Amino acid sequence: MLPQTQNVESAAASAPIFERPTDSFLSQFARTNLEVFQRDRLALAGLIILTFFVLVAILAPVIAPYDPLQVIEEDGIWLSNEKPAPEYPLGTTNLGRDIFSQLVFGSRAALLVGFSAAIAVSVIGTVVGLLAGYYGGWVDTILMRLADIAFGIPFLPFIIVLAAFMEPNIWNVVIAMSLLLWRDTGRVIRSQVLVIKEQAFVSAARVSGASNLRIIFMYIAPSILPLSFLYGSLAIGWSILTEASVSFLGFGDPNVVSWGFMLQDAFNSQALSRGAFYWIIPPGVCIMLTVMAGFFIGRGYEEVLFPRLRRM
Amino acid sequence: MRRGLWLYIGGRLLQSLLVLWVVVTILFLLFRLAPGNPLTAYIDTTFGEEQQTALMARFGLDRPLHEQYLIYLGNLLRGDLGDSFRYGGTVVDQIMEVLPNTLYLTLTSLVAAYLVGVIGGIFMAARRGTRTEKVGIIFTLMTRAAPEFWIGMILLAVFAFKLRWFPSSGTAAAGTIYSSEIEKLLSPDFWQHMILPTFTLALYLHGLPLLLMRSNMLEVMDQDFITMGRLAGYSERRLMIRHAARNALLPVMTALTLGVGYSIGGNVVIENVFAWPGLGRLLVRAVTTSDYPLAQGAFFIIAVIIVILNFFADVVYGLLDPRVGSSDQAKAS
Amino acid sequence: MMKWQRSYKPLLSVLVLAVVLLGLTSVAFAQSGAPVDPIVVLSNTQAEDPIEFETTRLLVENMRQLGLQVEHKAVPWAQYSDTVWFNRLETPEAEGGTGWQMTAWRMVARPERMDPDEFVFNLFHSSTAESGYNFVGYINPAYDALAEAQRGETNQDARREEIFQAQELIANDVPYIYVAHPSLPQLVRTDIWDPESIVDAQGIGIQNFWTWTGMTPLGDQKTIITNTGDDLISINPLYIAGDAPSRITELVWDRLMRIGADGLAQPWAAESVEWEDETNVIIKLRSGMMWHDGEPVTVDDVKFSFEVPNSGESPMYAPFTRRITNIEILDDSTLRFTLNEPWVAFEVASLAKVNLIPKHIWEPLITDLMTKEDNAEGLTIDQAPAIGSGPFKFVDWKEGETAILEANKEHFSPPKADGWVIKILPNQESALGQIQTGELNFLREWEGDSQVLQEVADADPNITLYASPDLGFRFFAFNLRFPPFDNVALRQAVAHVMPKDSIVKNIFKGFAVPADSYVSKAIDYWHDPNLPQYNFSIDEGRQVLTDAGFTWDAEGMLHYPAQ
Repeated sequence: MLPQTQNVESAAASAPIFERPTDSFLSQFARTNLEVFQRDRLALAGLIILTFFVLVAILAPVIAPYDPLQVIEEDGIWLSNEKPAPEYPLGTTNLGRDIFSQLVFGSRAALLVGFSAAIAVSVIGTVVGLLAGYYGGWVDTILMRLADIAFGIPFLPFIIVLAAFMEPNIWNVVIAMSLLLWRDTGRVIRSQVLVIKEQAFVSAARVSGASNLRIIFMYIAPSILPLSFLYGSLAIGWSILTEASVSFLGFGDPNVVSWGFMLQDAFNSQALSRGAFYWIIPPGVCIMLTVMAGFFIGRGYEEVLFPRLRRM
Repeated sequence: MRRGLWLYIGGRLLQSLLVLWVVVTILFLLFRLAPGNPLTAYIDTTFGEEQQTALMARFGLDRPLHEQYLIYLGNLLRGDLGDSFRYGGTVVDQIMEVLPNTLYLTLTSLVAAYLVGVIGGIFMAARRGTRTEKVGIIFTLMTRAAPEFWIGMILLAVFAFKLRWFPSSGTAAAGTIYSSEIEKLLSPDFWQHMILPTFTLALYLHGLPLLLMRSNMLEVMDQDFITMGRLAGYSERRLMIRHAARNALLPVMTALTLGVGYSIGGNVVIENVFAWPGLGRLLVRAVTTSDYPLAQGAFFIIAVIIVILNFFADVVYGLLDPRVGSSDQAKAS
Repeated sequence: MMKWQRSYKPLLSVLVLAVVLLGLTSVAFAQSGAPVDPIVVLSNTQAEDPIEFETTRLLVENMRQLGLQVEHKAVPWAQYSDTVWFNRLETPEAEGGTGWQMTAWRMVARPERMDPDEFVFNLFHSSTAESGYNFVGYINPAYDALAEAQRGETNQDARREEIFQAQELIANDVPYIYVAHPSLPQLVRTDIWDPESIVDAQGIGIQNFWTWTGMTPLGDQKTIITNTGDDLISINPLYIAGDAPSRITELVWDRLMRIGADGLAQPWAAESVEWEDETNVIIKLRSGMMWHDGEPVTVDDVKFSFEVPNSGESPMYAPFTRRITNIEILDDSTLRFTLNEPWVAFEVASLAKVNLIPKHIWEPLITDLMTKEDNAEGLTIDQAPAIGSGPFKFVDWKEGETAILEANKEHFSPPKADGWVIKILPNQESALGQIQTGELNFLREWEGDSQVLQEVADADPNITLYASPDLGFRFFAFNLRFPPFDNVALRQAVAHVMPKDSIVKNIFKGFAVPADSYVSKAIDYWHDPNLPQYNFSIDEGRQVLTDAGFTWDAEGMLHYPAQ
């Protein structure tokens, strides 16, 4: 269930190479990112996949021939369970809806959930990690006990219960995920901050009278930012998978066509025994590709950050 | 050093209890804030006003919130999770009936996943830099990126419905009643029912140990004692299996401990796809039918298992890591 | 201070302008009334009930064409039933409260509903409006009079006339708009069971007591294996725990009468049932019956069984025995039941409904419960063993998996099968797969797409599809207590925009018949064939509104008639 591809412990044990942020924040940031995609072909593939789905999501109304919930009719008869044909490239659902159009619009839900959860998770996790690691003492104790608690709450059951009790709505799923998923990011970033704050350039800043907040956000944060990106990109995949599971179990937003919703619809409309693979396979493949894109990018960051692993 | 270790374990134990208490409180609040009449599932539409009031009293729902909370805590301490709204019997009985099924499924698939994962990880490390490794890693990432229920659906469509090699749901053929858990475990029919869900879960779970094992192996192989071994003329194979793998295995075992807890919570989807009568399915049904005591109880048991296993993982980590107990740099698991 | 004054002047002029504009608008629409309030239509979620969800979606789209501002809100069952049933008196959600205005709903078929009394009386009698089945709040003294009259009418044709009139009142007042009587499709493996032994009962289909006891095996497989999607809640003869548990209690516990395939009650555990007069019934108990634990069934047991519901320990069964004022034991095989008023449905709704339970097991339990807050409905099978006298004996129940019954070969009418097993398969795909592999041999419950069953039956000659129209019906209900649906013209207009035929054809895939009354066409003796019809036509709907004085504004939104 751990979302990361690599282990937290090993990541923490092999301290990444931190450099004093001599360049401006932006250029260093750009350099790291560039390095990730230059070095790692898989990361580049991940980036391309994500860009592709972003484009699909933006252009959905142009690409999709129908509204995702529109029923295709012919003389008052709904064209249900149609096999793929030029007018409906992936066939129709058992209630006469175009599967291809649903697939195209489903990318919106997936990316919306993926990116918003990823941003929430990495922002919360980063801030928690920075504060806990830098200040130590009671701040650290409280924040890390909160992380322990978040680790003690069963993830999927929590999301399900929350989604069922609040209005079934896509944002509630995002909120529920953000409430728990920051825990991994928070811990790892904290342990890195512990290492960085002992380094010379931080002491130097302290001696020169920089305020705590300035040190945290101007000196330390830029160094751990790639790490937040790592966890953010993993969270994209993790949250898309979770949304799909929640929708599949029937706790999803009934008005949003997501890939998880499509699979739930297919499952409950006996697509399996009909052998309607044109309905079952595409949404799963789309989920898999987007999630993998997140993993690939995450690995890219990992290999830049923990270069020892690169040697293989 | 030894004293430090005991202090560490004691501290962790206290922390686990604290975590459990907070989780329990969150759980209580979560379920009190649930919408609708908590008795909807229980009250038949033919019920009159006074019968509803009587029921509210029976389930203690007419008392102020803080009183309900204290009663709830007291009951938990006595191992009483209350009565199910729908089934009438105690929640503990309901859970005990399905818990073994969840454990069989989880443990079998974890064992399978970790066996394959560890061996696969060693293999990948041995083949570092080759095409095989690259393809293997991509395949492993695919299994982690594909929704479990989707894999389950495809396996069902192919192996249960099309080829009819395996049954599609439940733990037993119709009409089979096992007189005991032992008899169930000895029955070939039960294992036939286990195969598809176990395979699906194991396919998903094997990724973590595999990637972990691989990266640990690579790290260990770089260490001095292996280099020394190489210089001393030991074969690469012997070094990998006898020495490197042994050292790389320990963190994987910690991950396994944690994995049990997470899998029990995460089985929800698989149990629903394969209609496996376990804790996850119980939870989903309880939530959809507003059987709050039952849902709360199932959630609680899952949380307890997770917290206990997190504690064990910490202890194992503490036992293995010589730094723990000697410095306060001990890292949380 | 200065600053504030300066910024406050333009603000004031804007306000004045707004007031003037508002005034002008209201003058412009002086001849029309206020705009019709926004409406929220509730339905189950797509995941839980796709048919209801899709039907609602379709109707809501058409309602918008009437100039109504409508929102379709799909909510999970718990919240949904809570709102509709328990918040019926609350201000609707669209007005800021917790109540409702309009909702999709359904009534299911039960054997005792083969007599129309339950629907005629409970659904619309004013006495059930506050907390009973009349959740729409239909109050009409003329209707109450009819509902009461038919209940005591022993002349069947006269009663039919009253029931027709009742149906007409409802058809004109439109508290419901009907969608369809679904015909629930079922699959039977006719390579295992003799198709001749499957009984199709009017209005409830092949899934009935006579089928279960009569199903004759053709080969070695002699156990009926059927399915349910829901967990069994309870197996308790004093508790109605849903459809599947009711199938079990029906088989394990005998009743004095059983409802035949023709919908009429016929003697069962009673050898004879004779009416002395309008309120007194003489029951002669069949001799030689035994409980499953070997004890004989006595008249004391019968008397006890009918008295327990009135004790307050079985509220769910109380409505079936409430009108019994006295039960007198005449001799060791005869009893006299006395009613407080004539009740035509007594045989169907009481004698054929109440389970006979062994006094030696239940009396101590009931006595104990008398001193407690709990009632007998909460008893589990461990506390109250499932001992009946019926044609099947209870063997085991594995929660979430299966319940097993075996044939009671000593019964006066022993079943042809050796056993009856119900598998709990929440997953429709599994159920469908299992009927094809023979793991199931009677698919009694199907929540999925009916067309699939047709395809399966067409492809496999060993599987036969049965589907006969059902007593149950799906409909939309209005909360008559609140605007805008306190207005009958508006309700009639909405009835006109319900595309029944298209829904039956496309959403039900033909597995339903369009409904026009709460009395199903499946029981044609009681169904009024001359009810007013609301043909699907947006224009006719708008015409109804125009005739009632409704108007539309420039945006096409509907306004009430001027006061």
